[in-house]
Amino acid sequence: MSFPGPVNGQAPADEGSPEPGAGADGYRRLNRKCMLSMYIDYAMWYAVLLVAYILTKTYAEGFLGSYYDLIGYGFMLVLGIALVYIAVAPPVFYARYRYRITEDRVDVRCGVLFIRHTLVPIERVHQVEITRGPINNLLGLADVTITTAGGEADIRYLEVDEAEKVADRLNNLVGRMLRDRMPATPIPRPGAADE
Amino acid sequence: MTDDCSSDAGSGPGTAADTPTRPGEKIRCHPSIIAERSLSAIVVLAVIATQLGRGAVPAVLAILFIGLVLFNYRQWSRTTIQFNERDVVVERNTLFKMKKTLPYAKVASVNVNRGILNRVFGTSRLLVNINSGSGATVPEAVLTFRQDVAEEIRAGMAERLYGHETVAEEEPAEPPVSFTPADVIVHGLFSVSTYQTVSGFAFLAYSVVQIYVSTVTGAGAGGTALVSLLMFFTIQLAPSVSLIFHYYNYRVYRRGDTIYLEHGLVRTYKTSFDASRINAIRVKRTLAARLLHRSCIEAEVVGLASGSGESLRPVLCLLKDDATQQRLLEELVPEFVDEHGRERQPAGARSVLLIRAALASLALVLVTAYPSIYLYHETAALTGVTGLVLPYALPLATAAAILAISYATYVSYRVTEFGTGTDLFTFVNGAVDRETVVMNYDRVQMVRITRGPVARIFGVARGKVYLLSAIGGANVSSGYFAGSRLAAVGETVMERIASGEYDYRKNSI
Repeated sequence: MSFPGPVNGQAPADEGSPEPGAGADGYRRLNRKCMLSMYIDYAMWYAVLLVAYILTKTYAEGFLGSYYDLIGYGFMLVLGIALVYIAVAPPVFYARYRYRITEDRVDVRCGVLFIRHTLVPIERVHQVEITRGPINNLLGLADVTITTAGGEADIRYLEVDEAEKVADRLNNLVGRMLRDRMPATPIPRPGAADE
Repeated sequence: MTDDCSSDAGSGPGTAADTPTRPGEKIRCHPSIIAERSLSAIVVLAVIATQLGRGAVPAVLAILFIGLVLFNYRQWSRTTIQFNERDVVVERNTLFKMKKTLPYAKVASVNVNRGILNRVFGTSRLLVNINSGSGATVPEAVLTFRQDVAEEIRAGMAERLYGHETVAEEEPAEPPVSFTPADVIVHGLFSVSTYQTVSGFAFLAYSVVQIYVSTVTGAGAGGTALVSLLMFFTIQLAPSVSLIFHYYNYRVYRRGDTIYLEHGLVRTYKTSFDASRINAIRVKRTLAARLLHRSCIEAEVVGLASGSGESLRPVLCLLKDDATQQRLLEELVPEFVDEHGRERQPAGARSVLLIRAALASLALVLVTAYPSIYLYHETAALTGVTGLVLPYALPLATAAAILAISYATYVSYRVTEFGTGTDLFTFVNGAVDRETVVMNYDRVQMVRITRGPVARIFGVARGKVYLLSAIGGANVSSGYFAGSRLAAVGETVMERIASGEYDYRKNSI
């Protein structure tokens, strides 16, 4: 699997030596704790699915009639597929997840079955938000959500410090861009030259 | 949050009726808003009164109504509007205080529409929208003024926004294309999506069969026939009639950089927006429209909400023959005429689409296998036409669905296109209802390229472009193309920003 390189062969604005902690291509990886967070999250959903299966097997025979066996097999198939996915998905997700923040863009590459490459120009960033759910809270992880006028992009399972740094960096980049756009010198009043 | 009030410039606090837009002057809404708001509640209260009209209930409802009128009066009397040099300030000094400042620099559009009550009271609704993605579906302020005052304010604000006055009522404007009532009816009937039309007519056919059977057998028509008929009205007839009423007397023209739309039968609409506010253009052809060689144009413009639940995407051309549609596109929005070439999907896409179709067909067969066998056993003993058809009905329906999937796959591969130019790029999609979306690189908010497991094998990917649209955020998907080709969209966006070709002052949100 290979994604196309940056900007028709051109490097992004500040791509020179990679940041500390980043790979040779400038991309950073997640902490391995992300897998644990995903396993806990998936296990909870699997438990819900399992309870639904047990309730169906126990109480739904009369209601489902001749479809009882068929739905039971279907349920078992779904449980089996889910179990395989839960076992395999977190390591694959961890191995594939890459993100990079440069002067001009946020670049995220991730996915288990479907691999997504998201590009957000810093110019379009409206809001940066850090969120922590209860599981991530326990593990010291956080998500950074980047909002544009057209949609949102996430950088997930960052360590809290790293999430703060990412949010600060994005806010600084947006702030600097806005400052650069402000007129450098005050607009002269009409007739000021004559004074 | 929308501020909904109406104003009588003449009776505002210390105002003069003939100068409603004098800077800094506080004016109030037209008092008819009290009646307008209270009348909607009286219907509900009257229904309750007829159902529970015993004892003290009518008296309680009457007190409630008086209380509501007094509440609306207080809201009206304590809400003021100031049209300043740089902004509009709407202020409400009630228990829940509110002060809303709308800078002209952020206002996307100022539009006027008139409903039945507005006509009775001689007023118009003035809708002020800002170019915001979060509140795109609701106008920031809805201000009802006396009709002439509303027009005057709108003209004054348009002058500030667009740099020139809007066309006055009596000033003749030359629309590049005229639309007859027949065009409006054709648009109403055939611009509704094919899926909607098919399901609507399926419900109609079912109810007709049910009613026919009940007539032949002498039994009364069952509830299912009536429900089906109702579904037909809801899915097919009501949207068509609504479109015909909405676009009656349709006019569109451009003056300078401003595009003007006028239409409406019961509620009339006057909408204007700067052409630079258009984020994308959609040329749409439903199946029926394609058979009639017609197409229509919609624009993605933020800040045109009317707050009445109507379609937010302004229609720049009703269903017209393709040549007229193209001519109107060139005259109205030459900025969005794409002259770049388009490419068809590569061979890898065909393999992906075929595998997808095969998987969908397999899933369909698996889902219908057991019910088909069950139905066969249950109906095998029947005689006559029913006994001949029913046992095989489900397998036949499955085969028909698989044929439809195969045909849709073939058409999808044939029609899906992608093109990139200097300022614009284009996605063409749709096996049944076709849509050509022309987008400007400078309006792209985010790009996402996705490769599924099958697409990876054949070296293709799908792209999704996120734009600020009439309903807030929206995305447009491409077909299957080489990942590097789709990545060029994002990279061109970045290049335009880096090179300074992208002018943030023209594209600020």
